Amino acid sequence: MNIHDLLNKDSIFLPLESGSREEIIRKMAAGLQASGAVTDLEQYVQAVLAREQQSSTGIGFGVAIPHGKSAGVAKASLSFARLSAPADWESLDDEPVSMVFMIAVPEENVGNEHLKILVALSRKLIHEEFRQQLLNAKSVDEVIEIVKSI
Amino acid sequence: MKKLLAVTACPTGIAHTYMAAESLQKSAAEKNVPIKVETRGAMGVENELSPQEIAEAHAIIIAADTDVLEERFAGKPVIKVPVAHGIKRPGELIDQALAKQPSAPSAAPAGRAKTEEKETGSGNSIYKNLMNGVSNMLPLVVAGGLIIALSFIFGLKPAEGTFGFQLLTIGKAAMGLMVPILAGFISFSIAGKLGLAPGLVGGMLSTQIGGGFLGGIIAGFLAGYVAKGLIKYLKLPKIMEGLKPVLLIPLLSVLIVGLLMIYVIGDPLKWLMDGLTSWLLTMGSANAIILGAVLGAMMAIDMGGPFNKTAYTFATGLLASSLFGPMAAVMAAGMTPPLGIWLATVLAPKKFTKEEREAGKVASVLGLSFITEGAIPFGAADPLRMIPAFMIGSGVAGALSMAFGVGLHAPHGGIFVLAIPNAIDNILWYVLAIAVGTIVTALCVNLFKRNKAVA
Repeated sequence: MNIHDLLNKDSIFLPLESGSREEIIRKMAAGLQASGAVTDLEQYVQAVLAREQQSSTGIGFGVAIPHGKSAGVAKASLSFARLSAPADWESLDDEPVSMVFMIAVPEENVGNEHLKILVALSRKLIHEEFRQQLLNAKSVDEVIEIVKSI
Repeated sequence: MKKLLAVTACPTGIAHTYMAAESLQKSAAEKNVPIKVETRGAMGVENELSPQEIAEAHAIIIAADTDVLEERFAGKPVIKVPVAHGIKRPGELIDQALAKQPSAPSAAPAGRAKTEEKETGSGNSIYKNLMNGVSNMLPLVVAGGLIIALSFIFGLKPAEGTFGFQLLTIGKAAMGLMVPILAGFISFSIAGKLGLAPGLVGGMLSTQIGGGFLGGIIAGFLAGYVAKGLIKYLKLPKIMEGLKPVLLIPLLSVLIVGLLMIYVIGDPLKWLMDGLTSWLLTMGSANAIILGAVLGAMMAIDMGGPFNKTAYTFATGLLASSLFGPMAAVMAAGMTPPLGIWLATVLAPKKFTKEEREAGKVASVLGLSFITEGAIPFGAADPLRMIPAFMIGSGVAGALSMAFGVGLHAPHGGIFVLAIPNAIDNILWYVLAIAVGTIVTALCVNLFKRNKAVA
């Protein structure tokens, strides 16, 4: 599976109006619903929030990677948002978040595909130039091009 | 060229483990320093450091918030920081690691010294894996044993549905989990999360095929190395890689361990038990004292394994023919290992850890209740020294019981049988036989056991 196959134009936000952690998650989930990946919005959002409850997915460097596995997801998919203003995410480094990658995985998904996506993303996000490119991306197509590099 | 190693791990094992790894690799590449990073996360252990690599490394960076089996790095310079530092300050960590002085003087005989180090290293890790199983098993032995002992208060043969019967059921459930947990956590210690399933199943099968706790130890190591081997050597096309940890490794490891336990370990065990039974039958008419000693030693050698089961079954079988001597010998011999352990901890407390001394107190109650399993945590932790001690003491107890002409009419019950009128012939001699067996066991345990300080 390639990561960029999971990205749909409907679920890329440049920018997304900032807000609370839950508001951001809800808006991005709505994008995934619009793209057809998420079928039951509320169920999926609850899964993502439950994961945030365990420990924040704010991984530092101004990036968060919320994710959820739920029966409300029809196919594995990815949403990306650049926030209009940094938002608090209770991150590892206490820095606010300005970019969010959100992952949706169907409940019956066999395998650890979503883990692999998260791992590949986590590794990539360490690289300054990757983050910088995403911050500077001017169009949705450009974001897809950048993510293709993973 | 100084080579560095690193290990990264975090509690959830998803993002931070891999970010820290990437961060260290990136920074090392910028500094032109060779580094290998082991990740211990949700995908299991990847890129595992070999003993050879550890031996050759200049220093090791641990960026982890969970256990990463640090004992491997004994004697090497180690820098230990939270995983967050691995992500945020890789450059500093690498500079610190490079600045470390190698702790072992690299003189001419370094080659030999290195191999020696490696041997003790692997010895320690076998011990560590074993102890991981034993320490997780211990609560089950304590709870199960004490609850079974408690049930005896309500009678030795509680009727179905009574409170005593329910206590017995609870106790037996805890005892039944003992060997699976022992095997499961030995395997877990070797191979990580993916080792647990085959270890548990292997331990369960050991119980079912009569392998007892020694079979459980074998199952645990078998499962651990099978799982570890699969993680390392099972190569799949990328598209199927995701199936590996969730489907293929669990399926294959459980299947391989299960088949090995049944066909490679189980069948010979059955032949062994059949052979032992016919051997005991031919001995029955020979010398009673020798029979008592043999039965006693068999009770102690594996405490629930094939020898123990054969001896016990043999003795209970003879009850039906109104031969009560062997039953008495078997029960005496089954009581002395835990009683002896208790006495040993009382006589030489300095040889035991605090935890062991506490376990010793519990063992006394289990011993009095004829729950031989009370000695298993001690036997499993150091089989080569402890089991001979148990065997000698139990052999003495069994032989004396036969020599004194003691007869026992009930197949279990420990000290509780003493209270039942006419259950035991020559009761005072019986107490003496058990007491002598206990003392002999304790003396042997303390004689064989290495001092804590030396170990």
